[in-house]
Amino acid sequence: MLGDIITPDLFASALRMATPLALAAIGGTLCERSGVVNIALEGIMLTGAFFGTAAVLATGNPWIGVGAAMLSGVAISAIHAFASVNLRADQVVSGTAINLLALGVTGFLMELWYGHPGTTASIQVLRPIFSFSSPGGGFLAEAWRWVNGIVFSHTPIVYFTIILAVVAQWAMYRTKWGLHLRALGEHPRAVDTVGVSVYRGRWVAVLMSGALAGLAGANLTIEQVGSFTENMTNGRGFIALAANIFGRWTPVGSYLASLLFGFADALQIKLQILRDVITVPPQFFLMLPYVLTVIVLAGVIGRAVAPAAVGEPYKKG
Amino acid sequence: MSEPRDEIPVQRPWMAIVQKIGTPILSAALAIAIGSFIMWISGYDAPAAYAALFKGAFGGPKQIGDTILRATPLIFTGLAVAYGFRAGLFNIGAEGQLFMGGLAAAALGVFLVGQPWILVAPALLIASALAGAAWAFIPALLKARIGAHEVITTMMFTYIARYLVSWLVVGPLKAEGQIPQTTALMPEAQLPRIQGLFSEGALEAFPFLNLGRAHLGIAVAVIVATIVWLILKYTTLGYENRAVGFNAFASETAGISVQWTTVKALCISGALAGLAGSVEVMGVHHRIFDQFSSGFGFTGIAVALLAKNHPLGVIPAALLFGALSAGAGTMQLEAHVPQKIILIIQALVIFFVAAEEIILWFVRRRQKEAMSHAG
Amino acid sequence: MPVLELREVTKVFPGVIANDRVSMTLERGEIVALLGENGAGKSTLMNVVYGLLSPDHGEILLDGEPTKIRSPRQAIDHGIGMVHQHFMLVEPLTVTENIVLGREPGRFGIIDFSDARAKVAALSKRYGLKIDPDARIMDLSVGMQQRVEILKALYQGAGVLILDEPTAVLTPQEVRELFAVVKSLVAEGLSVVFITHKLEEVMAVADRIIVMRGGAVVGETRPSETDAVGLARMMVGRDVVLSVEKGAATCGDTVLDVVDLQVKDDRGLDAVAGVTFNVCGGEIVAIAGVSGNGQSELIDAIVGLRAPSAGSIALKGADITHASARASIEAGVSHIPEDRHRRGLVLEFDLAENLVLGDHRSAPYASHGFMKPRVVAEMARTRIADYDIRTPSEKVLASSMSGGNQQKVVVAREIGRDPELLVAAQPTRGLDVGAIEFVHKQILAAREAGKGVLLISLELEEVLSLADRILVMYEGRIVREFVGGEADAETLGYHMTGGGGSKLDEGAQTEAAGQAPSEGEVVR
Repeated sequence: MLGDIITPDLFASALRMATPLALAAIGGTLCERSGVVNIALEGIMLTGAFFGTAAVLATGNPWIGVGAAMLSGVAISAIHAFASVNLRADQVVSGTAINLLALGVTGFLMELWYGHPGTTASIQVLRPIFSFSSPGGGFLAEAWRWVNGIVFSHTPIVYFTIILAVVAQWAMYRTKWGLHLRALGEHPRAVDTVGVSVYRGRWVAVLMSGALAGLAGANLTIEQVGSFTENMTNGRGFIALAANIFGRWTPVGSYLASLLFGFADALQIKLQILRDVITVPPQFFLMLPYVLTVIVLAGVIGRAVAPAAVGEPYKKG
Repeated sequence: MSEPRDEIPVQRPWMAIVQKIGTPILSAALAIAIGSFIMWISGYDAPAAYAALFKGAFGGPKQIGDTILRATPLIFTGLAVAYGFRAGLFNIGAEGQLFMGGLAAAALGVFLVGQPWILVAPALLIASALAGAAWAFIPALLKARIGAHEVITTMMFTYIARYLVSWLVVGPLKAEGQIPQTTALMPEAQLPRIQGLFSEGALEAFPFLNLGRAHLGIAVAVIVATIVWLILKYTTLGYENRAVGFNAFASETAGISVQWTTVKALCISGALAGLAGSVEVMGVHHRIFDQFSSGFGFTGIAVALLAKNHPLGVIPAALLFGALSAGAGTMQLEAHVPQKIILIIQALVIFFVAAEEIILWFVRRRQKEAMSHAG
Repeated sequence: MPVLELREVTKVFPGVIANDRVSMTLERGEIVALLGENGAGKSTLMNVVYGLLSPDHGEILLDGEPTKIRSPRQAIDHGIGMVHQHFMLVEPLTVTENIVLGREPGRFGIIDFSDARAKVAALSKRYGLKIDPDARIMDLSVGMQQRVEILKALYQGAGVLILDEPTAVLTPQEVRELFAVVKSLVAEGLSVVFITHKLEEVMAVADRIIVMRGGAVVGETRPSETDAVGLARMMVGRDVVLSVEKGAATCGDTVLDVVDLQVKDDRGLDAVAGVTFNVCGGEIVAIAGVSGNGQSELIDAIVGLRAPSAGSIALKGADITHASARASIEAGVSHIPEDRHRRGLVLEFDLAENLVLGDHRSAPYASHGFMKPRVVAEMARTRIADYDIRTPSEKVLASSMSGGNQQKVVVAREIGRDPELLVAAQPTRGLDVGAIEFVHKQILAAREAGKGVLLISLELEEVLSLADRILVMYEGRIVREFVGGEADAETLGYHMTGGGGSKLDEGAQTEAAGQAPSEGEVVR
């Protein structure tokens, strides 16, 4: 039975499940490193998922959908940036407003444009980049089946996310932008006094997190599900925040933490499929990612230190 | 650099009150205005929509009853979120505690069949409060001991609670029949409808008492809101709660246990949210099922913010959102505007209250103009 | 031609004129001291020059050219550097990263770290400011951090360097080192504005002295033309008594008895490494030491905010070693905390609520879990009158009061509680002369009333003028004890940095001897 669970597909599925979490988590990392808490990842992801789907439904081109998802993520996160940076609002509360707004706007437009609540029609999805055949038997073929299944079975955004994690990590520690970002969340006034704009730095970070969370939404609809359902993000934005903390506010760390959550999700799905063999109610499997998130937070928090100025509005002068 | 600030502006009491009430009212008004704008650009007839909404919420005693019905759980969740905020905690997971409270009432209610109402009803309310508090306890402990952010943990516990209930209503607690729900509560475990308290004659003589589905839960809600207000204002528990919320370091220095206060605050918040679950179960559905709450826990956030976390302010704020939600059905039916617009308005209210600067900016500009005219 | 000239600069905050038509000049290679009390407008003026604030009137001339400085970036571009009172350093970043922040070498947005490191090394060599370019700021001493700040300004090409209260956190020895650095900078052609409220420093380092009071320049002089008393008169506007009058100590019963106390800091290291002392009734015992030598942890342990790892604390014979903060208050320990905004007051509470903080659960202010607002208000009105708190009523929010008034509230609460022991940590930090006098008077009054007073202060003058006994703390140990009047600032400073031999603790002496040179050698 273990052989039915531990398959190449399980690990491939873990990578797929990790992708939206990782994108949002890296977005959260950039945002929090700049000193802005982003509770709104959930809502931004949902917004991206909806507008991505809508754009594909309108044009039939999934790539346009990806662009629309990112743009809509940027647009809605601009509200969060304006409230957090310029109006110095409570960032957690502003994020909550965005989450609710996303739920409302997507639901409202769903009925306005498609005439019914619930789920949209199916859309054209992005296909896996590679398609290699898995020939014959023998050990080599078996090994190839694993490599092919885990490494070469994915859609573009899945690969992009891995590259993004590495590039973002490098940029954060090697570029001017990265140095400014790291300083912003720790001591914004120090950044201001050397003549680097705090507002601009934070705006850019929040908008980038919006683009990434929007892309996470695109991955959900345009690569994984193939349609949009109301409130389909189902807490992924919050799990992504936990992944960002578990990854200690670094892009690569966020990715690896997301892999853990992705694996839990993949396992959960796998176990549900085997429900005839394992007689545990499916609800318990569905709880798994959320329970894991709490456990991870409980285990890691004491040792992970958040950026010193995160959540604190910055006032010039 | 210390700025001398000894010239203390003279604060007249009425000015303070106007200031306190002013921004929430302006926030709500601005949110509704933007809501109209959205309806207008979406091609709907906004005045007709609001007329329908108003009719659905206040058109007659039955409609008013509906508004009260929906405001009842919102008073509890609003109080829950507000009490947490007063200790510097954001209980975003009131929805989960509400589920557990509802579950406790539904399960225990079936168990206590045959006992007198006067025993059963309070027992169920207390059980639901305890269940809500228990559901908040682990996040509270994680927050107090290691600083795990309550926004993430209570949110996770909300999802866990939902799956738990969704399993119980198809599994162990499932009532006979096809529908996944628990067995209905007997009358002795219910909160009676308000109109049911009066004789036929009284209802005919005073038609405004025909409050439809509104139930006695509203009385419980108002009493609890008053108690919470008294706790915050006149007890050491409330004083310490506020002190920790404003400045945990000074509180610690003054011998207040910040950890213990945090645990108490989040558990009390959970208990209040749990009560929201029981009034829904005991007053409206008389049983629990998967979708028995229409996001009351989340709307509670908007209620608390609009009330500026004042326990008594929660009542009118809950009535506003209750009215919006009661009228939304009529609005969709008569003006064909999707009910989701209410969510958007809620979000905007939260946004405007949080970003008070926007409102204050308008106010200040008006003041400046007034002053320059006077000068 | 002056490198920097201000003409009639005026800056108005709501309700306050922070700078009132201030004019001044700074010549090339000159050290100008800007002297004044807290709140005299010195920092505001320099923030205007540095582009952090924009003036409402007046103009700034650089090398004779009228110049608008709208942001720190522009100030830096014009060759103005500023070392702020609160360091503008990012703690988790390295020395190099902090110094190059905002002007990183490299192309295409990618930082050339080896180039950056080389530039920092060259600068530190040229000005004799030795530093490890790869150390993280949070691992450096305060003196070293200040050095990074100066290097940062030099890296940015500062020709004019503004130092805002640079000595507030330094030991006398570090101050001397700083003065040497400043003089070498001036010799290299820089010009320095030195903000301070300490008279001796001005006399020691300045070429020219500009005195500010109430936002305006009230005088200009040279060290050779005046003395400390004259400067003080100019600064305060009246004659000031520079010393505190007090009678001889009348030592009563032992109030506080600390035996072999060990306390760990947040990182689990021994911050207090075996300390033994006592305080008796009617006596002020001061603990002198450089910030970060275990004083904060020692206070925390005594007031119940931190559990000691070994040893014992007794109050009037009763053991309070493991008492909570609450138990410690109830046993009779009062605490004027180091940072009043953070620990002393709840700014969003009104005065009455603040004055009852800590007593809010005991009679007569509360019973059976209920507060008694009328009793609290009555007490608050009494305290407001007794301690001269300037407020229209007890219902005013603490946040709307001035710093001096806020400290009066804390003092009123802690002394008004009638404790056995008063622990006063830096009770006059950031206060003006009048408020300092008031707080000192109250502490002396507590002493006259037979209370035990434990004073922790970084201001040596305060320690010297108030204390009956002085304990010098270094690296978690008491290395020296002086009876009041026996010590002077130089001797204290010497022992504070581990320089002296130890009569009390041989272990501390060898340790101190091992540590001291690494601190000292760096400047020369």
